[in-house]
Amino acid sequence: MDDLDYSAVGMPVRHELRAAHRLIFEHVRAPGNWWTGVQRVAIAAEARRATSCPLCRARKEGLSPSAVSGEHVDTGALPPNVVDVVHRIRTDPGRLSHAWFEGVVAAGLDAPHYVELVAVVTLVTGVDFFCRSLGLASFPLPDPLPGTPSCHLPASARPGTAWVPMIAPEDATGAEADMYPPAPFIPNIVRALSLVPDAVRTLWRSSDAHYLPVAEIGNPAARPAALDRMQTELIAARVSALNECFY
Amino acid sequence: MNGEAISDVGVAHAAELLAFTEAVMRGDDAWVARTRAALRAVLSPEAYVAVAAIIAAFNVVDRVADATGIPLDPMLLGMSADVRDELQLERFASSANTRETP
Repeated sequence: MDDLDYSAVGMPVRHELRAAHRLIFEHVRAPGNWWTGVQRVAIAAEARRATSCPLCRARKEGLSPSAVSGEHVDTGALPPNVVDVVHRIRTDPGRLSHAWFEGVVAAGLDAPHYVELVAVVTLVTGVDFFCRSLGLASFPLPDPLPGTPSCHLPASARPGTAWVPMIAPEDATGAEADMYPPAPFIPNIVRALSLVPDAVRTLWRSSDAHYLPVAEIGNPAARPAALDRMQTELIAARVSALNECFY
Repeated sequence: MNGEAISDVGVAHAAELLAFTEAVMRGDDAWVARTRAALRAVLSPEAYVAVAAIIAAFNVVDRVADATGIPLDPMLLGMSADVRDELQLERFASSANTRETP
Protein backbone atom coordinates (compact mmCIF):
# COMPACT_ATOMS: atom_id res chain seq x y z
CA MET A 1 0.00 0.00 0.00
CA ASP A 2 1.29 3.47 -0.85
CA ASP A 3 2.18 5.81 2.01
CA LEU A 4 -0.61 8.16 3.01
CA ASP A 5 0.15 11.77 2.13
CA TYR A 6 -0.18 14.37 4.90
CA SER A 7 1.94 17.05 3.24
CA ALA A 8 -1.00 19.42 2.65
CA VAL A 9 -1.47 19.79 6.41
CA GLY A 10 1.66 21.92 6.47
CA MET A 11 2.68 20.72 9.91
CA PRO A 12 3.84 17.48 11.47
CA VAL A 13 1.36 14.67 12.00
CA ARG A 14 2.72 12.48 14.76
CA HIS A 15 3.94 9.01 14.01
CA GLU A 16 1.28 7.25 16.13
CA LEU A 17 -1.53 8.73 14.04
CA ARG A 18 0.16 7.85 10.76
CA ALA A 19 0.69 4.30 11.98
CA ALA A 20 -2.95 4.02 13.07
CA HIS A 21 -4.24 5.17 9.69
CA ARG A 22 -1.98 2.73 7.92
CA LEU A 23 -3.15 -0.06 10.23
CA ILE A 24 -6.78 0.79 9.49
CA PHE A 25 -6.28 0.75 5.74
CA GLU A 26 -4.33 -2.51 5.91
CA HIS A 27 -7.17 -3.93 8.00
CA VAL A 28 -9.81 -2.77 5.52
CA ARG A 29 -8.09 -4.16 2.43
CA ALA A 30 -7.47 -7.64 3.84
CA PRO A 31 -10.00 -10.48 3.75
CA GLY A 32 -11.89 -10.56 7.03
CA ASN A 33 -13.82 -13.23 8.84
CA TRP A 34 -16.91 -12.90 6.64
CA TRP A 35 -16.19 -10.50 3.76
CA THR A 36 -13.47 -10.61 1.10
CA GLY A 37 -10.98 -7.78 0.69
CA VAL A 38 -12.85 -6.68 -2.43
CA GLN A 39 -16.12 -6.56 -0.53
CA ARG A 40 -14.56 -4.73 2.42
CA VAL A 41 -13.07 -2.01 0.21
CA ALA A 42 -16.45 -1.77 -1.54
CA ILE A 43 -18.10 -1.25 1.85
CA ALA A 44 -15.60 1.52 2.60
CA ALA A 45 -16.30 3.15 -0.76
CA GLU A 46 -20.03 2.90 -0.13
CA ALA A 47 -19.59 4.62 3.24
CA ARG A 48 -18.00 7.55 1.45
CA ARG A 49 -20.68 7.57 -1.21
CA ALA A 50 -23.32 7.87 1.50
CA THR A 51 -22.14 11.39 2.37
CA SER A 52 -23.47 12.66 -0.96
CA CYS A 53 -26.59 10.48 -1.15
CA PRO A 54 -29.78 12.60 -1.57
CA LEU A 55 -31.94 9.95 0.11
CA CYS A 56 -29.69 9.94 3.16
CA ARG A 57 -29.81 13.74 3.29
CA ALA A 58 -33.61 13.73 3.11
CA ARG A 59 -33.86 11.04 5.77
CA LYS A 60 -31.50 12.92 8.05
CA GLU A 61 -33.75 15.95 7.82
CA GLY A 62 -36.91 13.90 8.27
CA LEU A 63 -38.77 13.45 11.51
CA SER A 64 -38.16 9.73 11.16
CA PRO A 65 -35.78 8.06 8.69
CA SER A 66 -38.39 5.41 7.91
CA ALA A 67 -40.84 8.10 6.82
CA VAL A 68 -38.72 8.99 3.78
CA SER A 69 -38.62 6.48 0.96
CA GLY A 70 -36.54 6.32 -2.19
CA GLU A 71 -33.38 4.77 -3.52
CA HIS A 72 -29.83 5.40 -2.42
CA VAL A 73 -27.28 6.79 -4.83
CA ASP A 74 -24.72 4.04 -4.48
CA THR A 75 -21.60 2.57 -6.05
CA GLY A 76 -23.48 -0.43 -7.45
CA ALA A 77 -21.02 -2.88 -5.94
CA LEU A 78 -23.12 -4.17 -3.03
CA PRO A 79 -26.64 -5.56 -2.57
CA PRO A 80 -29.35 -3.01 -1.70
CA ASN A 81 -29.83 -4.25 1.86
CA VAL A 82 -26.10 -3.87 2.54
CA VAL A 83 -26.03 -0.42 0.93
CA ASP A 84 -28.87 0.73 3.17
CA VAL A 85 -27.06 -0.45 6.31
CA VAL A 86 -23.80 1.22 5.31
CA HIS A 87 -25.53 4.49 4.49
CA ARG A 88 -27.51 4.54 7.74
CA ILE A 89 -24.45 3.93 9.91
CA ARG A 90 -22.44 6.59 8.11
CA THR A 91 -25.04 9.33 7.90
CA ASP A 92 -27.59 8.86 10.71
CA PRO A 93 -26.15 6.63 13.45
CA GLY A 94 -28.02 8.32 16.28
CA ARG A 95 -31.38 7.00 15.10
CA LEU A 96 -30.47 3.36 14.70
CA SER A 97 -32.67 1.20 16.90
CA HIS A 98 -32.91 -2.38 18.10
CA ALA A 99 -35.97 -2.87 15.91
CA TRP A 100 -34.02 -1.56 12.92
CA PHE A 101 -31.19 -3.99 13.67
CA GLU A 102 -33.61 -6.91 13.92
CA GLY A 103 -34.98 -5.92 10.52
CA VAL A 104 -31.46 -5.90 9.09
CA VAL A 105 -30.90 -9.46 10.33
CA ALA A 106 -34.31 -10.56 9.07
CA ALA A 107 -33.40 -9.18 5.64
CA GLY A 108 -30.44 -11.52 5.44
CA LEU A 109 -27.42 -9.83 7.03
CA ASP A 110 -26.42 -11.99 10.00
CA ALA A 111 -24.71 -10.61 13.09
CA PRO A 112 -21.13 -11.63 12.20
CA HIS A 113 -21.35 -10.06 8.73
CA TYR A 114 -23.00 -7.01 10.29
CA VAL A 115 -20.33 -6.50 12.94
CA GLU A 116 -17.56 -6.74 10.37
CA LEU A 117 -19.37 -4.21 8.19
CA VAL A 118 -19.74 -1.86 11.17
CA ALA A 119 -16.00 -2.05 11.77
CA VAL A 120 -15.10 -1.16 8.19
CA VAL A 121 -17.60 1.70 7.95
CA THR A 122 -16.69 3.25 11.28
CA LEU A 123 -12.91 3.00 11.00
CA VAL A 124 -12.88 4.58 7.54
CA THR A 125 -15.32 7.25 8.73
CA GLY A 126 -12.88 8.18 11.48
CA VAL A 127 -9.98 8.57 9.06
CA ASP A 128 -12.20 10.63 6.76
CA PHE A 129 -13.10 12.99 9.61
CA PHE A 130 -9.42 13.34 10.49
CA CYS A 131 -8.68 14.41 6.92
CA ARG A 132 -11.66 16.76 6.76
CA SER A 133 -10.62 18.43 10.00
CA LEU A 134 -7.15 19.15 8.66
CA GLY A 135 -8.26 20.20 5.20
CA LEU A 136 -6.90 17.09 3.50
CA ALA A 137 -8.69 15.28 0.71
CA SER A 138 -9.80 11.83 1.86
CA PHE A 139 -7.03 9.30 1.39
CA PRO A 140 -7.52 7.03 -1.62
CA LEU A 141 -8.90 3.69 -0.54
CA PRO A 142 -6.37 0.86 -0.73
CA ASP A 143 -6.38 -1.89 -3.29
CA PRO A 144 -8.00 -5.02 -1.87
CA LEU A 145 -5.88 -8.04 -1.06
CA PRO A 146 -6.83 -11.41 -2.53
CA GLY A 147 -8.01 -14.29 -0.42
CA THR A 148 -11.08 -15.74 1.18
CA PRO A 149 -12.71 -14.90 4.51
CA SER A 150 -11.62 -17.05 7.44
CA CYS A 151 -15.20 -17.74 8.60
CA HIS A 152 -13.84 -17.78 12.14
CA LEU A 153 -16.65 -17.38 14.67
CA PRO A 154 -15.32 -17.04 18.22
CA ALA A 155 -16.93 -19.76 20.31
CA SER A 156 -16.94 -17.62 23.44
CA ALA A 157 -19.16 -14.86 22.01
CA ARG A 158 -22.43 -14.71 23.94
CA PRO A 159 -25.67 -12.76 23.57
CA GLY A 160 -26.03 -10.24 26.36
CA THR A 161 -26.67 -6.57 26.84
CA ALA A 162 -25.93 -5.39 23.27
CA TRP A 163 -27.75 -6.11 20.03
CA VAL A 164 -24.87 -8.34 18.95
CA PRO A 165 -23.10 -11.16 20.83
CA MET A 166 -19.88 -10.13 22.56
CA ILE A 167 -16.93 -11.81 24.28
CA ALA A 168 -16.43 -11.09 27.97
CA PRO A 169 -12.81 -10.31 28.86
CA GLU A 170 -12.56 -13.41 31.05
CA ASP A 171 -13.68 -15.54 28.08
CA ALA A 172 -11.09 -14.13 25.66
CA THR A 173 -8.80 -17.14 25.51
CA GLY A 174 -7.05 -19.19 22.84
CA ALA A 175 -7.00 -17.34 19.51
CA GLU A 176 -8.68 -14.40 21.22
CA ALA A 177 -6.31 -14.21 24.20
CA ASP A 178 -4.62 -11.05 22.91
CA MET A 179 -7.78 -9.44 21.57
CA TYR A 180 -8.30 -6.98 24.42
CA PRO A 181 -5.67 -4.49 25.53
CA PRO A 182 -4.03 -4.88 28.91
CA ALA A 183 -6.34 -2.85 31.13
CA PRO A 184 -8.14 -3.35 34.43
CA PHE A 185 -11.47 -2.49 32.81
CA ILE A 186 -12.61 -3.26 29.25
CA PRO A 187 -15.53 -0.98 28.38
CA ASN A 188 -18.36 -2.12 26.16
CA ILE A 189 -17.11 0.06 23.31
CA VAL A 190 -14.04 -2.19 23.08
CA ARG A 191 -16.11 -5.39 23.40
CA ALA A 192 -18.70 -4.29 20.83
CA LEU A 193 -16.94 -5.71 17.76
CA SER A 194 -15.64 -8.88 19.43
CA LEU A 195 -17.49 -11.18 17.02
CA VAL A 196 -14.65 -10.10 14.70
CA PRO A 197 -11.48 -10.17 16.82
CA ASP A 198 -9.23 -8.35 14.34
CA ALA A 199 -11.70 -5.47 14.30
CA VAL A 200 -11.31 -5.17 18.07
CA ARG A 201 -7.52 -5.16 17.79
CA THR A 202 -7.62 -2.45 15.14
CA LEU A 203 -10.18 -0.38 17.03
CA TRP A 204 -8.29 -0.14 20.30
CA ARG A 205 -4.97 0.48 18.65
CA SER A 206 -6.61 3.30 16.70
CA SER A 207 -8.16 4.65 19.89
CA ASP A 208 -4.77 4.59 21.61
CA ALA A 209 -3.38 6.88 18.90
CA HIS A 210 -6.34 9.21 18.47
CA TYR A 211 -7.65 9.50 22.03
CA LEU A 212 -6.29 7.58 25.01
CA PRO A 213 -5.07 4.07 25.77
CA VAL A 214 -7.99 1.96 27.00
CA ALA A 215 -6.30 1.55 30.39
CA GLU A 216 -6.36 5.34 30.84
CA ILE A 217 -9.95 6.09 29.85
CA GLY A 218 -11.21 5.94 33.44
CA ASN A 219 -8.30 8.01 34.75
CA PRO A 220 -9.35 11.68 34.92
CA ALA A 221 -5.70 12.77 35.04
CA ALA A 222 -4.84 11.13 31.71
CA ARG A 223 -4.75 13.32 28.63
CA PRO A 224 -3.87 12.92 24.97
CA ALA A 225 -0.83 14.59 23.48
CA ALA A 226 -0.97 18.41 23.23
CA LEU A 227 -4.47 18.96 24.67
CA ASP A 228 -5.62 19.04 28.27
CA ARG A 229 -8.31 16.62 29.40
CA MET A 230 -11.01 19.29 29.64
CA GLN A 231 -10.41 20.37 26.06
CA THR A 232 -10.45 16.74 24.96
CA GLU A 233 -13.72 15.94 26.68
CA LEU A 234 -15.32 19.16 25.40
CA ILE A 235 -14.57 18.15 21.81
CA ALA A 236 -15.68 14.57 22.44
CA ALA A 237 -18.94 15.67 24.03
CA ARG A 238 -19.71 18.04 21.16
CA VAL A 239 -19.05 15.38 18.54
CA SER A 240 -21.24 12.90 20.39
CA ALA A 241 -24.04 15.42 20.87
CA LEU A 242 -24.02 16.24 17.15
CA ASN A 243 -24.10 12.52 16.40
CA GLU A 244 -26.97 12.21 18.91
CA CYS A 245 -25.02 9.51 20.71
CA PHE A 246 -25.79 8.73 24.36
CA TYR A 247 -22.75 6.48 24.84
CA MET B 1 -0.40 24.87 27.61
CA ASN B 2 -2.44 26.26 24.73
CA GLY B 3 -2.61 29.94 25.56
CA GLU B 4 -4.30 31.97 28.24
CA ALA B 5 -7.87 32.36 27.02
CA ILE B 6 -10.35 30.64 29.32
CA SER B 7 -14.00 30.62 28.31
CA ASP B 8 -16.97 30.87 30.60
CA VAL B 9 -17.14 27.06 30.68
CA GLY B 10 -13.65 26.98 32.12
CA VAL B 11 -11.96 25.33 29.16
CA ALA B 12 -9.13 27.02 27.32
CA HIS B 13 -10.22 28.17 23.85
CA ALA B 14 -13.61 26.52 24.24
CA ALA B 15 -15.30 28.86 21.76
CA GLU B 16 -12.79 28.09 19.00
CA LEU B 17 -12.85 24.37 19.75
CA LEU B 18 -16.65 24.19 19.69
CA ALA B 19 -17.01 26.29 16.55
CA PHE B 20 -14.46 24.19 14.68
CA THR B 21 -15.99 20.90 15.83
CA GLU B 22 -19.45 22.01 14.77
CA ALA B 23 -18.19 23.14 11.38
CA VAL B 24 -16.38 19.86 10.71
CA MET B 25 -19.46 17.89 11.69
CA ARG B 26 -22.11 19.96 9.95
CA GLY B 27 -20.62 22.74 7.91
CA ASP B 28 -19.56 23.39 4.37
CA ASP B 29 -15.91 23.76 3.40
CA ALA B 30 -15.93 27.55 3.80
CA TRP B 31 -17.30 27.29 7.35
CA VAL B 32 -14.65 24.71 8.22
CA ALA B 33 -11.90 26.89 6.75
CA ARG B 34 -13.01 29.94 8.75
CA THR B 35 -13.16 28.13 12.04
CA ARG B 36 -9.92 26.31 11.30
CA ALA B 37 -8.12 29.62 10.85
CA ALA B 38 -9.47 30.84 14.18
CA LEU B 39 -8.41 27.63 15.90
CA ARG B 40 -4.94 27.64 14.41
CA ALA B 41 -4.47 31.16 15.71
CA VAL B 42 -4.81 30.00 19.30
CA LEU B 43 -3.47 26.42 19.34
CA SER B 44 -0.04 24.95 18.76
CA PRO B 45 0.35 22.84 15.61
CA GLU B 46 0.45 19.71 17.75
CA ALA B 47 -2.75 20.66 19.56
CA TYR B 48 -4.51 21.44 16.29
CA VAL B 49 -3.68 17.97 14.95
CA ALA B 50 -4.82 16.49 18.27
CA VAL B 51 -8.22 18.18 17.87
CA ALA B 52 -8.60 16.45 14.50
CA ALA B 53 -7.68 13.15 16.13
CA ILE B 54 -10.34 13.52 18.85
CA ILE B 55 -13.01 14.40 16.29
CA ALA B 56 -12.00 11.30 14.33
CA ALA B 57 -11.96 9.06 17.40
CA PHE B 58 -15.45 9.98 18.55
CA ASN B 59 -16.97 9.64 15.12
CA VAL B 60 -15.80 6.03 15.36
CA VAL B 61 -16.87 5.51 18.98
CA ASP B 62 -20.34 6.97 18.44
CA ARG B 63 -21.03 4.85 15.37
CA VAL B 64 -19.74 1.63 16.90
CA ALA B 65 -21.83 2.24 20.02
CA ASP B 66 -25.01 3.15 18.20
CA ALA B 67 -24.71 0.42 15.57
CA THR B 68 -24.14 -2.38 18.08
CA GLY B 69 -26.58 -1.25 20.76
CA ILE B 70 -24.13 -1.43 23.63
CA PRO B 71 -25.22 0.07 26.93
CA LEU B 72 -23.04 2.62 28.66
CA ASP B 73 -20.88 0.87 31.25
CA PRO B 74 -22.07 1.48 34.83
CA MET B 75 -18.67 2.89 35.82
CA LEU B 76 -18.66 5.40 32.96
CA LEU B 77 -22.31 6.22 33.58
CA GLY B 78 -21.50 7.05 37.18
CA MET B 79 -18.53 9.21 36.21
CA SER B 80 -20.60 11.30 33.80
CA ALA B 81 -24.01 11.37 35.49
CA ASP B 82 -24.01 15.10 36.24
CA VAL B 83 -22.92 16.11 32.75
CA ARG B 84 -25.46 13.77 31.17
CA ASP B 85 -28.18 15.28 33.28
CA GLU B 86 -27.13 18.85 32.46
CA LEU B 87 -26.96 18.14 28.74
CA GLN B 88 -30.20 16.11 28.81
CA LEU B 89 -28.58 13.27 26.90
CA GLU B 90 -31.52 11.03 27.75
CA ARG B 91 -33.31 12.71 24.83
CA PHE B 92 -31.19 10.82 22.33
CA ALA B 93 -32.77 7.65 20.94
CA SER B 94 -29.62 5.68 21.67
CA SER B 95 -30.12 6.19 25.41
CA ALA B 96 -32.64 3.33 25.11
CA ASN B 97 -29.70 0.93 24.80
CA THR B 98 -28.66 1.83 28.34
CA ARG B 99 -32.17 2.06 29.78
CA GLU B 100 -33.02 -1.39 28.44
CA THR B 101 -30.07 -2.99 30.22
CA PRO B 102 -31.29 -5.29 32.99
